[in-house]
Amino acid sequence: MSDELDEIQGIFFEECTEGLAVAEAGLSAMAAGDVSAETIAGVFRAVHSIKGGSGAFGHAALLAFSHRFENVLDEVRAGRIVASPEVTQTMLGAFDILSDHVAAAQGGTEPPADAAMLEQLDSILESKGAVAAAPQVETAPEPAAQLDDFGFTPLAATIDDFDPFGFEPVAVVLDDLTSPEPAEPAGWTIRFGPSRGALGNGGEPMLVIRELEEMGASVTDVDLETLPGLRDLDPEDSYFVWTLRVPGTVAEQDIRDCFDFVDPASLVDIARQETVVAIVEEPAADEFDGFGLFEPLPIVSEAPSDAVLTLVPVAAEAAQVPAAAATPASAAPVLAAVPTPAPKAETRQGSVEVAQSIRVDLSKLDQLLNLVGELVIRGSILSDRLSPADQERVELPELSRLTRQIQDNVMSLRAQPIKQAFSRVPRMLRDLSAETGKKVVLETIGEMTEVDKGVIEKIGDPLTHMIRNAVDHGIESAEERLAAGKPEEGTIHLSAEQKGARIIVRVRDDGRGINRERVRAKAIERGIISADAALSDEEIDGLICAPGFSTAETISNISGRGVGMDVVRSNVEALGGRLEINSVPGEGTTFTMALPLTLAILDGMIVRLGDQRFVLPLANVVETVQPEPGQVQATSPSSEVIELRGQYLPVRRVGEMFGMRSERAPEDSLVIIVESETAGNVGLMVDTIDNRREVVIKSLEDNLHPIRGLGGATILGDGSIALILDIDALVATGGSSKYALKGMAA
Amino acid sequence: MSKLILTVDDSASMRMLLKASLAAQGFRVEAADDGEHGLERMHEVKPDLLITDINMPKMDGFELIEAVRQVPEFRGTPILVLSTEFSDEKKTRAREAGATGWITKPFEAAKLGAAVRRVCP
Repeated sequence: MSDELDEIQGIFFEECTEGLAVAEAGLSAMAAGDVSAETIAGVFRAVHSIKGGSGAFGHAALLAFSHRFENVLDEVRAGRIVASPEVTQTMLGAFDILSDHVAAAQGGTEPPADAAMLEQLDSILESKGAVAAAPQVETAPEPAAQLDDFGFTPLAATIDDFDPFGFEPVAVVLDDLTSPEPAEPAGWTIRFGPSRGALGNGGEPMLVIRELEEMGASVTDVDLETLPGLRDLDPEDSYFVWTLRVPGTVAEQDIRDCFDFVDPASLVDIARQETVVAIVEEPAADEFDGFGLFEPLPIVSEAPSDAVLTLVPVAAEAAQVPAAAATPASAAPVLAAVPTPAPKAETRQGSVEVAQSIRVDLSKLDQLLNLVGELVIRGSILSDRLSPADQERVELPELSRLTRQIQDNVMSLRAQPIKQAFSRVPRMLRDLSAETGKKVVLETIGEMTEVDKGVIEKIGDPLTHMIRNAVDHGIESAEERLAAGKPEEGTIHLSAEQKGARIIVRVRDDGRGINRERVRAKAIERGIISADAALSDEEIDGLICAPGFSTAETISNISGRGVGMDVVRSNVEALGGRLEINSVPGEGTTFTMALPLTLAILDGMIVRLGDQRFVLPLANVVETVQPEPGQVQATSPSSEVIELRGQYLPVRRVGEMFGMRSERAPEDSLVIIVESETAGNVGLMVDTIDNRREVVIKSLEDNLHPIRGLGGATILGDGSIALILDIDALVATGGSSKYALKGMAA
Repeated sequence: MSKLILTVDDSASMRMLLKASLAAQGFRVEAADDGEHGLERMHEVKPDLLITDINMPKMDGFELIEAVRQVPEFRGTPILVLSTEFSDEKKTRAREAGATGWITKPFEAAKLGAAVRRVCP
């Protein structure tokens, strides 16, 4: 950096030379009578640039002098001081001294004596143009020392500065600082109501809240009182008042810093729980950060009575906050716990202590679940046997609804917080840390998310492997991290959340990311892809899950135990889930497992092939296409593509994949576009679609060898059996090179 | 993907200094040397944040901000103005033009970073 700084400084001095030439030419022109705005602005800009850079490179004397010179130029530019011959003459003199200052700064020599000239410049400012005959020492309007140090408006002036905006000073409530600090500091209660219009001009109150949350704050209340009806709502306006609680261990100044950029018309109350005293914020000069935030619109004066804007001390309310609840996230020494964003689950956890419970053998729950599955099947059978008119009758939908409720209830009996699977991670990380010498911090989010017990049992291994992988391959050594400008400690985020019918489990590290060059080279070496394959970044990342792939240059003790990421993927897929990898070079890698909420029942699309019916998991279905003649084209005797909105997607004839011949032309068939983990979007050609059904998954593996492409079987309403397609395995089985197809389409 | 910042300043040393400071803090940085180029670059790179100097030839910082805010796509883009000082008048101008906040020159790298993260995490 210091070489870089030297280089930049060199450029700065070149600019100074250019600036001085511009200033000299301009001042000479002014002396010759050219006092056009353009000429004056040119001189001003030249001096202004010298000043800006001198501050940045720490040339205090040059900064101080150019600042005072610029003040005069600014007034001349604004027309408040007339560029009389006397004033111009003084400025030419000032220019000479400025040149000397630049030379001194560049040569590292003593700055020139400039006191007399400064006094002349100041006297021009004072008298608005009358040049003082003799310098007067006491006319200096500002203490020179202040300028030397800062060269910009000190903070003491900022509150005054806001007055013309119509700002009111921020009223801040905080504890009496003279009272002795309690041993365990009470938490802070913050009320934050962004002013109207705070969302304009790029302002974003949520950033403030997020920053506070990073310190351990949690939002305890949002006051929606001023939220107008939809008709009057301006989406660019802010109507909320948030109440946040911050652990007492956080310093007040750190909290206050978060509000630096919040415009002063906003409500910002920061209070300890106990005694509160209202004061008006008047930060001292040395706290001036040199930046601030504008209020976008002068709404304050138009709506002075707006509840959000009224600065109400919240002493009474703050005092009611129980002390025990004040610190929701007390930091654990090594493993920082982040508060779970699943309040519902937290409530559940809280009530467990008082609720009566009974231990039930898991097999009994499994039986119950099977019975519910049977009930769903019988319901389908019944429905199929009824005439369409009877199917619409109230009783049947009611029966379906009740069945669904029973099913949900049984599922909830089996649901357990995913914490059980997460709980062994901290220990594992400690061991990994010790083994690798890498420092790793764990952040866990959503560990109270509830998941089927079967899922919990089965994600343990993939989770373990992903975390090992993250520590071993993702997180860099402390030295490497420091060199890359990252904190010494690596962070692994482990999170779980429910999204629709899926549980999303993420393992995110802030390490070096996947080395795509190396992955690609390795995949070619291992014959997984051809040397000329055109792969997207995502596809390359996906290669680490290809069977038999390992990028570790040396087989390490940790993740090189013969278990590759391909096992992780197949485990996840065996659960009916999907594994996604996102990696940003230098920033880290995220593994995302999307798992079904339940292992037993799935929403399926029943499709027909000849006289057979198959179930396609609805979760994989993107869209259904009735091909036009010519839309499906053969690219080789064994492969076909479908053109869809300018893109070519591979098409597989599902029937042929299971050895069934079909003479149907593509235009008499349907192509169902499915998304797959293994091959992206792929079209599956089927004869027709029957309907959509909730089906109960019956495992085939107890009775048959695993069949690639089949995920199980189910009993349909008419009592017949339909096979459930495992899309990811199916499209990967196709054999034809998807990569070659990609290359062709591109 | 790290955040992309467009810096507009007529001084090459200031542009380099901004770039060095911001890049060291993990931001991606693009630069332009006056308001007109700044506006062109806005459309080209669509940054997450604009940091602009005020005193520049051709189009100054105020005019640039006004022009940027005219573009619907950039109405919510945070804009920080950079100047050696902020008089009442200058702050009012910047605010009316549509700036989000201000930073005084000279800046310390850490404070620049703090200011940037306040509007562009």
